[in-house]
Amino acid sequence: MMRRVAGLVCAVVLALTWAAPAMASVNILALEQQLQCPTCDTPLNVSDAPSALRIKAYIEEKAADGWTANQIEQSLVAQFGREILATPPKSGFDLIVWIVPTVLIIAGLGAIPFVTRMWTRRAKHVAPAAGPASPEEIARLEQELRRLRD
Amino acid sequence: MARATVPARHGGRPLHVRGASLCDVETPEPPTSPTGRRGWDRRQITVAAVCAVVIAAFGVLLTVGLLNRGVNDSINSAIAKGQRIQAPAFTLPVLTSAPGIPAAGKELSLSQLRGHPVVLNIWASWCQPCTDEAPILQTIWDHYRAEGVYVLGVDVKDLTGDALSFHHSYGLTYPTVRDGEGNIEGPYGTTGVPESFIIDRDGRVAAALRGPLSESGSSANVASFVAVLDDVIAEPAGKA
Repeated sequence: MMRRVAGLVCAVVLALTWAAPAMASVNILALEQQLQCPTCDTPLNVSDAPSALRIKAYIEEKAADGWTANQIEQSLVAQFGREILATPPKSGFDLIVWIVPTVLIIAGLGAIPFVTRMWTRRAKHVAPAAGPASPEEIARLEQELRRLRD
Repeated sequence: MARATVPARHGGRPLHVRGASLCDVETPEPPTSPTGRRGWDRRQITVAAVCAVVIAAFGVLLTVGLLNRGVNDSINSAIAKGQRIQAPAFTLPVLTSAPGIPAAGKELSLSQLRGHPVVLNIWASWCQPCTDEAPILQTIWDHYRAEGVYVLGVDVKDLTGDALSFHHSYGLTYPTVRDGEGNIEGPYGTTGVPESFIIDRDGRVAAALRGPLSESGSSANVASFVAVLDDVIAEPAGKA
């Protein structure tokens, strides 16, 4: 009996775990952060422009109708174009926007050891500062100066 | 003046003494590069060249970006000089149709209306002044359509459903095309909605109203707008 109950509980837990993603509602704030107001070019979640308010209402309506975040986003892109996306998609030509900064950051980090070594080497080659004059040199200088004054 | 020199110390190091300006003292050698040569070595030149290219590229991008952000003033400038320039061409999907206009969903090019005077109105459903001027545009459409005039709405940066609701709720029967991305705004130099233009039979801009049509108050402008439309209607095609 106990074994049957335990099995039933496990089955329910597994079913709930499997169904959870399907039941999860759209994270509206996250979606709004991924979009931008078409008239003011600011993130949708911080914009109060009339157009942004309408789009926010549209997102809530569609989320209530059971649309996924991706479906809502695609619908908005179809109506407003890709400029409504706050960040460019990670595909096609737009991929360059993601690749170039990444490559530059990696190149910059990779250049640090070389630049550091170059600076260190240069520092070694710099002549040390002149030390104090020796007594002979000072005597010679005094002598020259005296000769000049005379 | 006698020349006084102070010999360098052992190791080639120059001697620095106070008051040396009184006499000529051997000046120290200028610092040399790590390779022992004067000036920049190849690596430094490469780094400097790369930096220069990157900075130049950013400068070009910044300049292009700033230039493109500027409002296109060509229509206003031409009208101010009493001239008419060709209305920027566009091809957009029809949202609401009318006789002589492709069905909803099909594309309409401005050039298809060549030979007809056109009142082009750029609007959006979320724009309050657009709400106020919609009945005026409907009146113009009702009054002038028999004379071959087209009132053509261009719905910009708007939800399709909202735009259709707007049309239905105000009983608008003039055709409208959809421009969700607002691509028309740059070429027409719009800074907001609504804005209206009168385009003559030859496809040239005869008037540009940067704001809503208004029948009353100090901003009343419908009479002057319609006066230009009357002039355009009276002109034969091919006047250019």
